[in-house]
Amino acid sequence: MSNPCYGRKRGYSRRAVLAQVGLGGVAATLGQLRGVRHAFAQDDGRPWYFLDDAEARWLAAACDTLIPEDEYPSASQAGVVDFIDFQLASDYGAGAGLYMDGPHQSGTPEQGYQFAFPPSDLFRNAIDALLQDDPPLTELDAEGRHEALRGLSESEDNLTDDIPAQAFFTELRTLTNQGYFADPIHLGNHDYAGWQMVGFPGAHAYYLSTVDDHNRHHPAPPMGVAHDRSGGSSLPRLIERGE
Amino acid sequence: MPRLVPSPLIAAVGIGAVAFATTLPAQDRQDDPDIEELQERVTDERVLFGVQVDGEVTDDLLKKGRLVAMGGAEAGGADMACISCHGAQGQGDGSGAFPRIAGQAGWYLYKQLMDYASEARPNEVMTDVARNLTEHEMEAVSVYYAAIDAPLIAPLGDVDAETLQWGGKLAAVGSSERGIPACANCHGPAGAGVPPTVPYLAGQHSSYTEYQLQLWADGARDNDAMNVMSAVAEKMTEDDMKAVSAYFARVRGEDAEAAEDGEVADSNEDD
Amino acid sequence: MADYILPKTDVVIVGGGWTGLTTAYELAREGQRCVVLERGRDRHTATSFAGPEEHDELKYALHHAHMMELRKETLTFRNTRDQRALPMRRLGSFLPGSGLGGAGIHWNGQLWRPLPSDLEMRSHYADRYGADFIPDELSIQDWGVSYDELEPHLEFFERICGTAGTAGNLDGEPREGGNRHEGPRASGYPNPPMKQPIATTLFGEAAARLGMSPFPMPSANVTQAYENPYGAQLHPCTYCGFCERFGCGYHAKADPIICVYDRIKDHENFEIRCDSQVLRVEKASDGKTATGVTYLDKSGVEYFQPADIVCLNAYALWNVHLMLVSGLGEPYDPETRSGVVGRNYSYQTIAAVDVFLDDEIVTNPFMGAGALGVAVDDFNGDNFDHSDLGFLGGGYIACTQYHGRPISYQPVPEGTPAWGAEWKKAVRDNYLHHTGIVVHGSSAATPDNYLDLDPTWKDAYGRPLLRMTFDFPQNDRKMSDYVLQRAVEIAEEMDHVRSISTINRAAQDSRYSLVPYQTTHNAGGAVIGTDPRTSVVNRYGQMWDHHNVFVFGACLFPQNLGYNPTGPLMGLAYWTLHHLKSDYLSNPRPLMDA
Repeated sequence: MSNPCYGRKRGYSRRAVLAQVGLGGVAATLGQLRGVRHAFAQDDGRPWYFLDDAEARWLAAACDTLIPEDEYPSASQAGVVDFIDFQLASDYGAGAGLYMDGPHQSGTPEQGYQFAFPPSDLFRNAIDALLQDDPPLTELDAEGRHEALRGLSESEDNLTDDIPAQAFFTELRTLTNQGYFADPIHLGNHDYAGWQMVGFPGAHAYYLSTVDDHNRHHPAPPMGVAHDRSGGSSLPRLIERGE
Repeated sequence: MPRLVPSPLIAAVGIGAVAFATTLPAQDRQDDPDIEELQERVTDERVLFGVQVDGEVTDDLLKKGRLVAMGGAEAGGADMACISCHGAQGQGDGSGAFPRIAGQAGWYLYKQLMDYASEARPNEVMTDVARNLTEHEMEAVSVYYAAIDAPLIAPLGDVDAETLQWGGKLAAVGSSERGIPACANCHGPAGAGVPPTVPYLAGQHSSYTEYQLQLWADGARDNDAMNVMSAVAEKMTEDDMKAVSAYFARVRGEDAEAAEDGEVADSNEDD
Repeated sequence: MADYILPKTDVVIVGGGWTGLTTAYELAREGQRCVVLERGRDRHTATSFAGPEEHDELKYALHHAHMMELRKETLTFRNTRDQRALPMRRLGSFLPGSGLGGAGIHWNGQLWRPLPSDLEMRSHYADRYGADFIPDELSIQDWGVSYDELEPHLEFFERICGTAGTAGNLDGEPREGGNRHEGPRASGYPNPPMKQPIATTLFGEAAARLGMSPFPMPSANVTQAYENPYGAQLHPCTYCGFCERFGCGYHAKADPIICVYDRIKDHENFEIRCDSQVLRVEKASDGKTATGVTYLDKSGVEYFQPADIVCLNAYALWNVHLMLVSGLGEPYDPETRSGVVGRNYSYQTIAAVDVFLDDEIVTNPFMGAGALGVAVDDFNGDNFDHSDLGFLGGGYIACTQYHGRPISYQPVPEGTPAWGAEWKKAVRDNYLHHTGIVVHGSSAATPDNYLDLDPTWKDAYGRPLLRMTFDFPQNDRKMSDYVLQRAVEIAEEMDHVRSISTINRAAQDSRYSLVPYQTTHNAGGAVIGTDPRTSVVNRYGQMWDHHNVFVFGACLFPQNLGYNPTGPLMGLAYWTLHHLKSDYLSNPRPLMDA
């Protein structure tokens, strides 16, 4: 890989990941998830928390179409699939912030989220439906993937009985974006890919002496909550597997 | 403030001072990192971030910086070389007067020199030193020390666990009772500093940190923006200052910890 | 029935935010035993919000870790009465807080005063333009309390917060560099204004060239070490860029914990119980007074807390909800337009101009503070001639720089695709060369925008959810469009502008939506006034129907102004507390005749 921001093969420490995540206050969630095993587990000892192999590949293809590689990493290279996997397995996926009491019925766009199920089901059911496409997204070339996602974003159809294509697309785009730019303690933004790209210095923020120093860019290399200069010690799994 | 005494080394390199016995750490020329090694380190923008150098950091600037550190300033730097007190590797010592400056943010070091010169930060020794440096020499020597990565010196003396625990708490979350914000807010969770303006505290000699906190509290030092540090230090008791200084003197960076643990493979090297 | 009946206290206070803690401070020191019931958790500025852990955009800004939990309490929403309201299942348009300090923990610190004319909304417009000028669709009304009456209280709260700014009208004397439209102030701001970055500076220069009067936005992000009248010590803001939606661990953003709670928490008359969800206010058998409140503690045990005085200090929406589920006051009926509780719910109109600047202008958007900005007030309230405009109200126009958090701050020029290579490049190219101008507009009340109880959905405690029926009135759409055009003119005048684009949440062809964030400035529903047919509380904040119930917060606003509500609502709180202490305590009774 050409970009020095990512792609360096590095050692892996499970403890380091847990320590990092712990700083973000989500260690408890992660703790409960220990022991969950998926298809990738036997390969690298690092199970997905929520996804299965096919779902992860579909997400990688989709996310990399939303945020493709250029001088900066693509979404999956920056750990976005790891991020989404972790989100779906934890509070966000379980709908912890949502009011889920019934009855459920569809509403106007102004009334917002009205699904009878939490985001983890939204992703699972939508991706499983999209995996039935022939040919599947993963087998299309870049242009084909772009067209497929454009179709998804503009479609007036439902993917399943109760999931409109656009609703899923919006949620997918939101999570992909979050994964590229959120603090690396959440497993995305690997090597601070997103922050390097825009020039955001991170969680360590003290600008009292520089705020009125007009027009001087302060290109501090990014530093996240966990104070890790390299932005996470674990490589995105798809890269580690050489995909 | 103890008077500074030139070290025998200075006489040896011909700056022309008289040698006296001192308690300063031994200054070994072999500690002096070579320019190539430094050049590599200054590619880390974090180290240099914001240093007001004219143009790129070159071998020449680093050489110049090293020369100034050795006492080779045009105007003589008040006959004093940085290395005589701060060491060739910028490790300082535990006396309270000589802070560790190795790897400190370049801009911060430069600003302190400027402030010493203008007496915005009063200090009878450093004012003379700084006034005998040209601006370019201040830049050069700041870059030089910013680029150095010196091993940490083991902290002096024993501190009881309770004090360390209290210091750690002040550092991490502050004190709601006394209205003291956490050091970590501005200096980072491991006290690693936020270049260019916020210095690191981790590994700094506790006597120095404690003394500075007293100066901030007394108003003798007030060369930060909007007196942030005075507002904080005024709320601290002597015990608070002691505790937090002792704590940070013992904080080691992540890399150091990892190396000690021997569990995490080197995260920066290709393999 | 409650599981336990507790010993009686003098005052029970529902909610531990700005108004609740201030009420407790003022009354406890007056010899009243105060019990504050806070639904959320205990937390403290110094120990709960220390950076950099606090600086996690995903956790706090997007997953709302400091906000209320919808699974416990939410509301249902519809734009119009002919729709079926559905539950707000996910936070979006507004973000009420939960926990000690309330929304005062995660506010931005933009601290304004109302204009004198704002407080006399109906009579002012009728006097200046004739009664026919006021559109029939609006149910706007006077507050019943004047600017001069509120001034000392507005001033006091500015000192509580160590507010930074430049006075524009010192005792009637205009001052250069301040807001020349503001009402006369008895004193200047306690602290000097904030430092300004390049973008807000360019905005100020452009506005001045157009003949407007730019001034630094009044800010509760303190600019130097400061001690407030309660003895709280605040520190200078570091412009860290994590303000709104975050707590401030620097002791730099005035919040109710540092500024008030810490100064009263050890007082013998003060007690706070967190994780205590008030279910309803109980009424005496004659219905004339309240006897206390029933609440649930963390473990689900139900208590009755008797009290001589009940203070409602919850967030605007939940004050109204508590009244409705407790049967306090007569609920509003939009059919007959009778009743008052839930009437005149209003919001705010938000529009913005995105300004893209030349590459040589580096804005460093991450160097920000909640109230960092330059504003013009020339198109707010009735600061401009409305004769031929066909609407009333207005808004301030401000170039602000409060964060560059990279998930939320992704400015791209109009026409950029929403994803893909082109989008990615645009985000990268524009992040450091963009600024935003906000139009923060008023919201007039109408008979059709109101709050009542939902017939279908319940909260976690079995109570019917609050039901919100709201859409922007035509008046506000016209106003928002007009003021946005003025903002565009300033943007076009700015030096180094490459391109601009606009967004208007109250645009003509759109409906109010719960989905995109707009403001946490919900107002009205339990409004203040001098006529019990059109107000829930009299001009002292005392309920007409139950004289020992006092109501605080933005639910009192008869319609919403073009300003952030914290300043005005705290002015009202100190006004109410002044009358409670000086008049009511010694002789409990209705302070006004109905």
